[in-house]
Amino acid sequence: MMTEDFDRILDECIDRINRGDNVADCLSAYPAYSERLRPLLQSMHDIQKTYTFAPSADTKRAARQKFHATLGKRGRMTPVLSLFRAILRPAVWGTIAVLVLVLAIVGALVIEPVFTPTTLVPSPDGNFAFLISDEPNDIGDFESLNVTISRVGLQAAGSLKRLEFRPETATLDLTRLQGERSQEIWRGNVTPGQYSQAYIYVSDVTGKLKSTGQIVDVKLPSSKLHLSLLFEVTTDAVTSFTFDITVVATGNNGKYILKPQVGDSGARQEQRRLG
Amino acid sequence: MNIGNRKHIPTINEYESRLADLYEEYYDKIARYVYVHIGNKEEAEDIAGEVFLKALKSLKSYREQGIPMQGWLFRIAHNLTVDYLRKMDKRRTVPIDSVVLVGNDNPVDTAEKNIEFERVTEAMKQLTTEQTEVINLRFLGGLTSKEVGGILGKSDGAVREMQRAAIEKLRGIMGVEK
Repeated sequence: MMTEDFDRILDECIDRINRGDNVADCLSAYPAYSERLRPLLQSMHDIQKTYTFAPSADTKRAARQKFHATLGKRGRMTPVLSLFRAILRPAVWGTIAVLVLVLAIVGALVIEPVFTPTTLVPSPDGNFAFLISDEPNDIGDFESLNVTISRVGLQAAGSLKRLEFRPETATLDLTRLQGERSQEIWRGNVTPGQYSQAYIYVSDVTGKLKSTGQIVDVKLPSSKLHLSLLFEVTTDAVTSFTFDITVVATGNNGKYILKPQVGDSGARQEQRRLG
Repeated sequence: MNIGNRKHIPTINEYESRLADLYEEYYDKIARYVYVHIGNKEEAEDIAGEVFLKALKSLKSYREQGIPMQGWLFRIAHNLTVDYLRKMDKRRTVPIDSVVLVGNDNPVDTAEKNIEFERVTEAMKQLTTEQTEVINLRFLGGLTSKEVGGILGKSDGAVREMQRAAIEKLRGIMGVEK
């Protein structure tokens, strides 16, 4: 029993050190075990010190560019290829026929209102605000990077219901929205409930390079960029959803790709203004 | 039937997006994980890059059956490392005779680092294969015991026990005071 307790404490200390705590913090949290813990954590420290190295920035950058270039290619090729392959399969025709029949019977009554997104109108006192921000990756290469968003949508969790709205501010310069900066592009009332996705339709991207002043080609994995994040909209608070976009160089060919960044996106809630 | 509680199955696009997000956090950790096994930094960095490309190509076969994506990346790293070592016809752990650390430090510091590297590596060689994996994944990969258990097919309790036994063994070999 004692050994299991100790294993658990040692494990927790290792987790804490991995998260950035130091050995002393952990020892002071478990004074009864500190004598036994100290040499073990010292060994951990020795091993980490011996094998930890910072990979070369150039190698890492080249690997990242290769990864994003492959990712970009998949974004263009996969839907077309998979659709083509699917059409060739006879079994798919049977499934489509059944599906069409079912839709024909049920569609007019039920499906149609569900598949068609509800379009929302802006309101300054609404319970929902949508913001755009930029996670700095290769944005430093740009003098300006204007992104035009034609529509924004939210997907309700656990249903097919979608809400869409047109941004009040459609074109944004991402070079001005780096890191913690963000810009609100729409505010209005959204049906309270849980949502599982936010997506934006990008109709135009124009990037101007700092180094040459040239307009550069910025690709999109698709015209619809989406993020899968569970968030809630309520009536008694304003939910501000920040959609983070980042631009990444795809190789040494001077091309860039624009993609959503889930890590820095998300919703937060604030008390609603009164009156 | 409660549709609200049904588990969301991510699409390939969502997996791609998650993989891209893991890149920054895990590239370095995977490079270090590989480095412990092969003892060559440049090759370790190349393999780390290869891990993400391989993951991208194999995303269709990835399903989260108890193993999170970062754990899956280390599994790919392990397999690529094994392939590499087979190709190089080397043994499991770092070939210390061939490893010489080169730095910008003065020669005395570099020599001390080399001695320390040999001391730790020699101790690591005394561990079992599974113990080495646990130490490597926990200390250099930064994974939790549960995640390590998912990769090795062990319970997190078994991983914790193996971890303690491995560190005690290392301490016994390396000594504490230097």
